[in-house]
Amino acid sequence: MIKILPHIIENSAQRFPKKDAFRFGEQAVSFADLNIKTAQLAMHLTEYGITKGDRVGVYMNRCLETAIAIYGIMKAGAAYVPLDTTVPHDRTLFLLKDCGIEHMVTTPKQTKKVRKLLEHHSPLKQIIGISQPMALPSFSWDNIFGIDTSTYIHPEVTEKDLAYIMYTSGSTGTPKGIMHSHRSGLAYAKLSADLYRIDKDDRVANHAPLHFDISTFGYFSAPLRAATTIIISDAHTKLPASLIQLMEKEKLSIWYSVPLALIQILQSNLLQKYDLSSLRWVIFGGEVFAVKYLRELMLKWPQAQFSNSYGPAEINQCTFYNLNEIPKVDTPIPIGKMWGENKYKILDSSDLEVNTGDKGVLVVKTPTMMMGYWNNELLTQNSIYTEITESNEIDSYYRTGDLVKLNKDGNLLFLGRKDRQIKIRGYRIEMDEIEAVLSRHELVKEAMVCSVEKSNGEKELLSAVVLKSGKQIEINMLLGYCRSQLPVYALPSKIIILDDFPRTGSGKIDLTRIKETLSTL
Amino acid sequence: MNELLIKYIQEQLLNNEMEEELEAQDDLLGDGILDSLGMMKLILYIELEFDTKVPPQDMVIENFMTVQHISDYLAQKKK
Repeated sequence: MIKILPHIIENSAQRFPKKDAFRFGEQAVSFADLNIKTAQLAMHLTEYGITKGDRVGVYMNRCLETAIAIYGIMKAGAAYVPLDTTVPHDRTLFLLKDCGIEHMVTTPKQTKKVRKLLEHHSPLKQIIGISQPMALPSFSWDNIFGIDTSTYIHPEVTEKDLAYIMYTSGSTGTPKGIMHSHRSGLAYAKLSADLYRIDKDDRVANHAPLHFDISTFGYFSAPLRAATTIIISDAHTKLPASLIQLMEKEKLSIWYSVPLALIQILQSNLLQKYDLSSLRWVIFGGEVFAVKYLRELMLKWPQAQFSNSYGPAEINQCTFYNLNEIPKVDTPIPIGKMWGENKYKILDSSDLEVNTGDKGVLVVKTPTMMMGYWNNELLTQNSIYTEITESNEIDSYYRTGDLVKLNKDGNLLFLGRKDRQIKIRGYRIEMDEIEAVLSRHELVKEAMVCSVEKSNGEKELLSAVVLKSGKQIEINMLLGYCRSQLPVYALPSKIIILDDFPRTGSGKIDLTRIKETLSTL
Repeated sequence: MNELLIKYIQEQLLNNEMEEELEAQDDLLGDGILDSLGMMKLILYIELEFDTKVPPQDMVIENFMTVQHISDYLAQKKK
């Protein structure tokens, strides 16, 4: 029985020991090898006192070791926490402290960055994956892979226990951690593996970095059915011409990414040169796919079934919409229907259900739902809508914050956000967080951030600030400050300094006018 | 050529915010130095500055991994 996430690997290792579980470039690890290597990492962690409920950081870019790290950590009974290696050190340090991460698994490639991190105060006590001497005890992968696993004992972990935490933008100015249990992670793996009928012969592309929730498809759903996951390298994600070569070479059968990656492949104008006849599913999610590009791609890849997937990271995925024909008009495609036994409601601002076909906020009850936000009970409470059923049970629904309506044909349509969250290149960004970061600058009195759409349909962040009286600062200094605090996708592309914000008659900041000023720059 | 490219990447794409000096052998793509948007800007700059055209099939890892790779690629194009 597969009851916790590490059982995925143990089960596939028993059935198909020699099959490749994960591939990365010319490297590969079979299910049997992965099972041993993850046990070795687990034994090492256990020896250092790591136990159920502990959080272990995974500080890596896309590489084969990601698979060993996450399953090894979970085999030790702990939860893995992906750490984005491209964000400023201040942000990584915040996560380490917020999550109480004492142990970090990494790779030799990150040696320089880890050294820099260790110059600052943090809860870290041990670094795994680096062979050079560090300021803290460190262990190389060779050390780990030398461990004898004959005495490995399974930890006493149940499906209710914490499996992983993914951080995302938080509107109060600091990132928030989304906690998933083995049960919610596994429920997602099973539902998605069934929906997309993954089998052992599939070759699944993993385009997303580990800290992006759609990576769970490549890391959980594919190995659950003993398929091979091809981890796409960072370099390939940046150069579409190389990416498409890789798609052909690896004979990919299932693709899942944000729309932008597919648009970049399309715009390389190289599609006709490559044989992608093995491709049977193209799944996209994370943001809206502009129909004009989607249509073009569907014409180029008639062999593939296209599917729109939807769901905030808090509930993994909840709806799907399979495109059975090429869309004729440019109106956005639906997010579709709920999967599995999910229940949902569309609520108005008073938490009452709207009339069928009316717009409202989507709330979802699903087994793929998170346990809550790390160390933030209040935020967790506020994200849940509860209802007492007729049989006197409490049903908890996650408040997505997404505005939707039900179509005549029974599909849900996404209509935007009820708050100031936006998606840029698939990344979820709270504009309130960027404002809070700018307002924390010692010379800034007030800050305002807005997003505008560029002519090519991409969104761009712009900001206006008012300085404290008598203070001056160069725009480049402010931009530099943002770079030291925010991930690159959340950086305003322009900042302007105003003497004061324009106000409406009632004295409120006139956001519309600031937005006009900013977008005409 | 290397110096010009390094100068452009450091000043225009990274806003001089790198924690270490950029070197010609540094992996631009795998170390998170450039994202896909930065890569596109760099290619545009190269086309303008060196009065050349980078066709889509040339935008591959072998040509753009490091500043040195880019220089080699451009030199070989000139021949």
